[in-house]
Amino acid sequence: MVWPFVVIAVALVVHGVSRRWPDLVQQIVMPLGVAAIGVALWQIGCDMSGTDIFPTPWDTVLAFGDIIESDRLLGDSIASLYRVTWGFVLATMCAVPVGLVVGWSTRSFWAMNPIIQGLRPISPIAWIPIAILWFGIGDGAGVFLIFLSSFFPICVGTMAGVRNISLVHQRSAANFGVHGFELMRRVVLPGAMPQIITSLRIALGVAWLVIVAAEMVGMDSGLGYLINDARNMGSRYDLVVATMIVIGLIGIVLDLLIRRLETFEEVKWGYVKQ
Amino acid sequence: MGVREAVSGAERAKVVVEGVSKQFTRRGEALPVLADVDLEVHKGEFLCILGPSGCGKSTLLNIIAGFEKPSTGRVTIEGEVVRGPDPRRVFVFQEYGIFPWASVWDNVALGLRRMTDKGEQHDIVQKTIDLVGLSGFERSYPRELSGGMKQRVEVARALAVSPDVIYMDEPFGALDSLTRLTMRSELIRIWESEEKTILFVTHDVDESIQLAERVVVMSARPGRIADIVEVGLPHPRDLGSPEYGRIKNRLYELLGVEHSV
Repeated sequence: MVWPFVVIAVALVVHGVSRRWPDLVQQIVMPLGVAAIGVALWQIGCDMSGTDIFPTPWDTVLAFGDIIESDRLLGDSIASLYRVTWGFVLATMCAVPVGLVVGWSTRSFWAMNPIIQGLRPISPIAWIPIAILWFGIGDGAGVFLIFLSSFFPICVGTMAGVRNISLVHQRSAANFGVHGFELMRRVVLPGAMPQIITSLRIALGVAWLVIVAAEMVGMDSGLGYLINDARNMGSRYDLVVATMIVIGLIGIVLDLLIRRLETFEEVKWGYVKQ
Repeated sequence: MGVREAVSGAERAKVVVEGVSKQFTRRGEALPVLADVDLEVHKGEFLCILGPSGCGKSTLLNIIAGFEKPSTGRVTIEGEVVRGPDPRRVFVFQEYGIFPWASVWDNVALGLRRMTDKGEQHDIVQKTIDLVGLSGFERSYPRELSGGMKQRVEVARALAVSPDVIYMDEPFGALDSLTRLTMRSELIRIWESEEKTILFVTHDVDESIQLAERVVVMSARPGRIADIVEVGLPHPRDLGSPEYGRIKNRLYELLGVEHSV
């Protein structure tokens, strides 16, 4: 058995390196190490179980070649991103104004909040039959489902952001005669903005989860459909896992993109401790 | 004081509080906060409202500023009944009422946003920022500033609209003691040059003597005016003078606090 010695040797090297270059170790070596351990466990699991359906890491790498070559990857990624983009943008355009008004006006809060809270816990997945009934199989149903899954987190986040605006800021605005639309633009919207951005981030994450599920059940393109297709056409689990990795990577990129919103000077105050 | 005393009482009055009381209801029980407050504030006067915490001094200031309604009585300013906040009278808050999402410049320009002459607006904003000593920080955001600087922004935002009256609710309460002293002397400098009427709420006896021409001492539960003490010392005030000590003793006596520890 040589493995224990390898592990000890690696540990000693990591320890030595981490004392000299602590940042390098913490930010690059350690995460890569954990990933390498994960891949190793994956490989060991495949070897020990003797599976011939579940792909090894190397099978998965080769599968990337297949899906790229078949032109499916790009087309299906674009199909999924298209639905998510439109559903998310439309939801933002509706949910932010609704959240601002409902959060600000006590009367509309009492009128609207029960409906919003009542619809919110219904999984967007549960809407799939209705989405297909109304929009048929295709982009319309996907956009509708993403709209639903994004609308509620954004609306509720905006409402909470508005209701958290401090009394001194409300009074400052009143003192300087800021009313009506100007109040929304100058005080309510910017005051709620940090929380709105957080809710956008949550909503986009949820949207990316939902679109894959929706495409597996009720659509004929997209990354979710690709996963289903790969399984149905001769149990190509190597393609399934490769597609899952693509889904994860796109999800990370989407989150990184939307996090850029948190770096604007107008909202930084909401994320740093005062 | 000489010139001001020549004017008759009625003409001098700027803010008049008549029979104001306030009670909150908590769990169906009436909770009196202010009882029967009568007060006249003179034009151009620096008036401090001094009292222990919970004496209703902030509530009184909020009623005068129009943020809260009195249960009975009324507040008039130059004969006009106060029904709500008004840009001619600006409130400076203790907990930073400036907007954290706007730059120093945009915060100070808030009250001037409707000015059509943008050149003049620019000049006023710059002049006010210079006046409070924040030149060079125009593009900074509040989170990048110290507590004292944030409070200067708030004072600048108030001064920019050249209000008749400035209400200040323990504006320097969150600052360290040295910054507080600096802010007081700068406030006096501004008050002397701009001739504003200032109503200043504090629980700090020294602060009230350093700043005010008259100190309104309040007692608690329900809040009422115990007495009004004339300070009548010229600025800059000598904290070691016997007159200062005499006023200080009087204020502590009115507050019912044993201060010779």
